[in-house]
Amino acid sequence: MSSYYDKLLTLCGFEYEEIKMERPRIEASFERLGLGPEDMDTADTWVRQNHDVSLEGVRKLLGAWLKELIDLVLARDERKKIVYYGFPAILGPGLILSASSEDVFVSAPDMVLDHTMGQIFNKLAPILEAGEANGLPPGHALCSLWQAKVGGIAKGMIPVPDFALASSYYCDMGSKADDLVTAKYGVPIAYIDGVMDSKWGEYPEYLPERVHYLGAQINQALEKAEEVLKIKIAPDAWEKSRKSSQPFRDNLARLVEVMKADPVPVSVVELELLEALSSSSTGRGIREGIKAMDILIHELEKRVEAGIGVTEKGAPRVMVRLGHTSDPRVTRLIESTGLAVPLTFILGSFGGVKVNPRGNYTTPGEIIADYEMTGGYYHGTEAQVHFYEKAAELMKLDGFISQYLYNCRPVATISHIQKRYLEEKTGLPVLSLEIDNFDSRAYSADSLRTKVETFAELLKAKKK
Amino acid sequence: MLVAGIDVGAATAKTVILEDGKITGCAIKPVGHDIKLVTKEISKEALYRAGLSISMESLDYIVSTGYARESIEFADKTVSEIICHAKGACFMIPSTRFLIDMGGQDSKAIEIDQEGNIINFIMNDKCAAGTGRFLEVMAHILQVESMDDMGPLALQSKEPCPISSTCTIFAETEVVVLRAGGKGRNDLLAGVHKSVASRVAAMAKNLTCKPDTVFTGGVARNTGVKKYLEEEFEREFLVPEEPQMIGALGAALIAQAQLLK
Repeated sequence: MSSYYDKLLTLCGFEYEEIKMERPRIEASFERLGLGPEDMDTADTWVRQNHDVSLEGVRKLLGAWLKELIDLVLARDERKKIVYYGFPAILGPGLILSASSEDVFVSAPDMVLDHTMGQIFNKLAPILEAGEANGLPPGHALCSLWQAKVGGIAKGMIPVPDFALASSYYCDMGSKADDLVTAKYGVPIAYIDGVMDSKWGEYPEYLPERVHYLGAQINQALEKAEEVLKIKIAPDAWEKSRKSSQPFRDNLARLVEVMKADPVPVSVVELELLEALSSSSTGRGIREGIKAMDILIHELEKRVEAGIGVTEKGAPRVMVRLGHTSDPRVTRLIESTGLAVPLTFILGSFGGVKVNPRGNYTTPGEIIADYEMTGGYYHGTEAQVHFYEKAAELMKLDGFISQYLYNCRPVATISHIQKRYLEEKTGLPVLSLEIDNFDSRAYSADSLRTKVETFAELLKAKKK
Repeated sequence: MLVAGIDVGAATAKTVILEDGKITGCAIKPVGHDIKLVTKEISKEALYRAGLSISMESLDYIVSTGYARESIEFADKTVSEIICHAKGACFMIPSTRFLIDMGGQDSKAIEIDQEGNIINFIMNDKCAAGTGRFLEVMAHILQVESMDDMGPLALQSKEPCPISSTCTIFAETEVVVLRAGGKGRNDLLAGVHKSVASRVAAMAKNLTCKPDTVFTGGVARNTGVKKYLEEEFEREFLVPEEPQMIGALGAALIAQAQLLK
């Protein structure tokens, strides 16, 4: 017996037996999300238009996101202890909590909503509007990622969490949004604070004091989580969580190798699905993602052997900061101008662009902090430039598209400095592109077309 | 060889016809609400001025540019307005190395090399404060009947009144309040023009400004903005003939190049 969602879920990589087994959960979650038969038709068209569904790995990835969404929506019904964290995340604490108990569900709900209600159902706008109506109004340059979280909770689509890991480390707005949720719903928060910027000229070194401080913040957050959630974090929880998610990271590294090919075998739209999953899920999304990536990488390796690509061979190669989380048309625009995108910033983190951690630390917090210092985003502006520079060499890039969210303090403030410095260091052109990476209502693909097309022509002319 | 370039921007639609490399016809009209209609009208007018009694679709090649470029169904190719403006400016002034274009609703700065290729560019299309729209709003508030009078009136000021607001909407309120407080119209106009020039200069200075510096777009006809822009950069800006047509001209030149390939 089939149901109104079977066709879409099959398109998104669900096996028949999976659908059969999960019917009650699927129906309960779709009802809560307000998804009916007409939404399935819209989603079917939307997914086919925007994703490379000829690849089984891509279909499975979409399915991984949907499974994460179902788990998120039903977490309260299924009596989970729910922890939310925000993107960009220091992922370690979330992974540790998730590994500590099967009763704990840890997720980045904003990213899950963006990738499912946005990328699959094209129905994110009502959730954002609910966020706007519930304390994060429009016209105030507030991040739509937090509007998605607040809106999703306000609409009753996703549960109020039991605990929030507030990432004020990178993004102060995220923690303010969590304050809002706390004020309304009484959710305990642990703030993870840190000093993001190193001195210019310091990279790749970093002060041990920064590791101690961030490490202490993380450890403190974990202690509070234990208290609030009434769980005990085992001493080996960090190792266990690292091990369980290691295959995902290993696969991302393999993917970077595959993406060195010319022509590039897959769109950055699909890369975005992967990299975002790596930082948004600690549970089924990651496990399903690992399986999906195994399939995808195999398919891409075959494409590389056959010389099949999504752009022309010899197309100018650019790195972008991030793919769009909720509207793949914005990301596709880049490739439609004839540019190949073999790498994003997050993907590059797994592909040998980071330096190795330095210290010899023992607490989970300090081990995580040490790792974060090597990465670029959490080290400082200069480190990001070095990251891009190394990526240029690794992936034989011809330029960069450095999107900066207009309303993102850490990213927007540095955008022009970064462009100038990167152009000086690499000699490659950089398009500093004002965008909203999470919400295309004000920054649609059409509105960005002129700049991206011009940049593409500039790169093509240089390459001749 | 008959080619055309059509530039449909936010405020005006322009077309230029080239016959064997020479400009033989051109036309400009406000866009209004019906892009198809205005495109038809400017096509008809440009063809008439070129002495041609054929349809636009009969031309050998047509390139469209501007925000609405994708909606010109009979265009053979679409090209971004940044590329077209660079092309058009270099045709009119071959020594162009730095171009500022200020249109109805966007402004851009472009660095160009000796071969006429774009090296770098920056564009603002989110904020009206450095665009023709800002000047139109202010013309209305200050009751200047013709946009052509704005610049000359501003240049009559001995004491430009600074406008502190960076937003067109807030600046509108500020100007009303200042006017009510007794500030002279010409002084306010001068302040408005300085404000536009400084907004665009702040954006453009992210690039490297080298001579010759050229100013295009509808706002380039405004002598007041030109003067204040030159003060910002401490250098002269050359304004080609018919600065509003440069995008359409560039598109026509690209059309010609396509045929010559």
